[in-house]
Amino acid sequence: MTHRTLLAAVAAVAVSATPATAQDVIRIGTEGAYPPWNFTDASGELVGFEMDLARALCERMDATCEFVAQDWDGIIPALINGRYDAIMAGMSINDERRERISFSHGYATTPGYLVAPEGSPLLEVEPLQTVEDVQAVLGDIVVGVQVATIHQAFVSDVLEDIDVRLYDTQDLLNLDLMAGRVDAALADASAWQAFFATPEGEDFAYFGPPMNGEFHPVFGEGVGVGLRQADTELLARFNEAICGMQNDGSMTALAEEWFGFDSSLPCPE
Amino acid sequence: MLDLLSYGDQGWGDEMLRGAGMTVVVAVLSFGIGLALGTATAAAKLSNLGPLRVVANAYTTVIRGVPELLVIYLFFFGSGTAVMWFARNLFGYTDYIDLGSFTVGVTAVAVISGAYSAEVIRGALQAVPPGQIEAGIAVGMTPRQIFRRIQLPQMLRLALPGLGNVWQLTLKDTALISVTALAELMRMAQVAAGSTRQPFVFYVTAAVLYLAMTTVSQVLFQRAERLAGRGVRPA
Repeated sequence: MTHRTLLAAVAAVAVSATPATAQDVIRIGTEGAYPPWNFTDASGELVGFEMDLARALCERMDATCEFVAQDWDGIIPALINGRYDAIMAGMSINDERRERISFSHGYATTPGYLVAPEGSPLLEVEPLQTVEDVQAVLGDIVVGVQVATIHQAFVSDVLEDIDVRLYDTQDLLNLDLMAGRVDAALADASAWQAFFATPEGEDFAYFGPPMNGEFHPVFGEGVGVGLRQADTELLARFNEAICGMQNDGSMTALAEEWFGFDSSLPCPE
Repeated sequence: MLDLLSYGDQGWGDEMLRGAGMTVVVAVLSFGIGLALGTATAAAKLSNLGPLRVVANAYTTVIRGVPELLVIYLFFFGSGTAVMWFARNLFGYTDYIDLGSFTVGVTAVAVISGAYSAEVIRGALQAVPPGQIEAGIAVGMTPRQIFRRIQLPQMLRLALPGLGNVWQLTLKDTALISVTALAELMRMAQVAAGSTRQPFVFYVTAAVLYLAMTTVSQVLFQRAERLAGRGVRPA
């Protein structure tokens, strides 16, 4: 008798629970606190580049998107657990994460850029295109980077004999750039956009090429959709939709709208 | 700065207040369930049945000996897996079952709160002088009557200060379930801080709101203590 009540209770839970993998609903997990990728506006709505992108992708996949907010710390476990079907949260594709989840094609990359003050002779050097060009220019100057970033990996490991200064935070790097203690600095475009928007950042400008995975592999493969490794069919659908947007230019348009520059990657197929 | 905290679609004031409301709801529910759980555990600890004592001791030892955040992680990621395992093996139901971050969060905090309450209640029960219980037996009271007339009223008075502590712990533990993305005060502060890049404003606001909640509850507990102690002469 007790057994039966227990079974009935479990059955009731099972029946009332919403079946998640209905064909046309794809639940997207995101952090909701990482602008401009994904964040929450003052009315409590999830907005950002990835929300718009997800809607566009789902439309191409003939599916309905549902967003699930998840704290960054638990974002991979909750995917594996089945709380949602895909992660779109500014997550960079790397081999460590590949051990637990699979990734779609990269849909965005925010390149690294070199920055120098207006009036610096560095801004006049043209054209700076290859790693060798950059090596030649940076060889004689002091370069600042944030510690433990792909930018540090590039100047310290890929380039040779560079006078590198390491900073704990981007803000400290900006301060020394303003003070003239470093001649140039290398950091992520989204960090520079924020700096340029401040009054102090007005007198600085980019030079050299956008540094992404194409420029050198150390800059990675960009940001992709995280999926459970077993969901190969969903992976194929995402890849097809992403390539569709990459090929018809709508990915570029969306990126320019949110980042102010083209963060899109070419379709690898 | 103040327009960041304004009410309505332009500011975060309404989100923060709703978050505070959610925090209160989760804390009250968890504390209440924890109180029931703690009373049962305290009774089990003091019972004559060996297995009951073992289970109760294991519960309070494990839960109080493990970081609260870890308990919440285990519940949040473990409970779904466990329920789905039962559903699959008993009913062949293979789809995902979402228990909801509210249910999981309240359960996890209640289990933590219950373990602490259990110790407070056990201590209070044991603090009732055994002579009074013997007196009860001597005048022919049943064990039930002894519990209801002698132990329970005094236990409540003795347990109140300790339970006030457990309540504050519970209230603050609710902040940990922000990892499940339940829209309580801590989670809303994190989201607002990240989205506006103004962490200081929102963390200070959250601190003020938490402090308001703990201050009000402190006053209420003090009054309850006075009420419960009205028959006792101050030492």
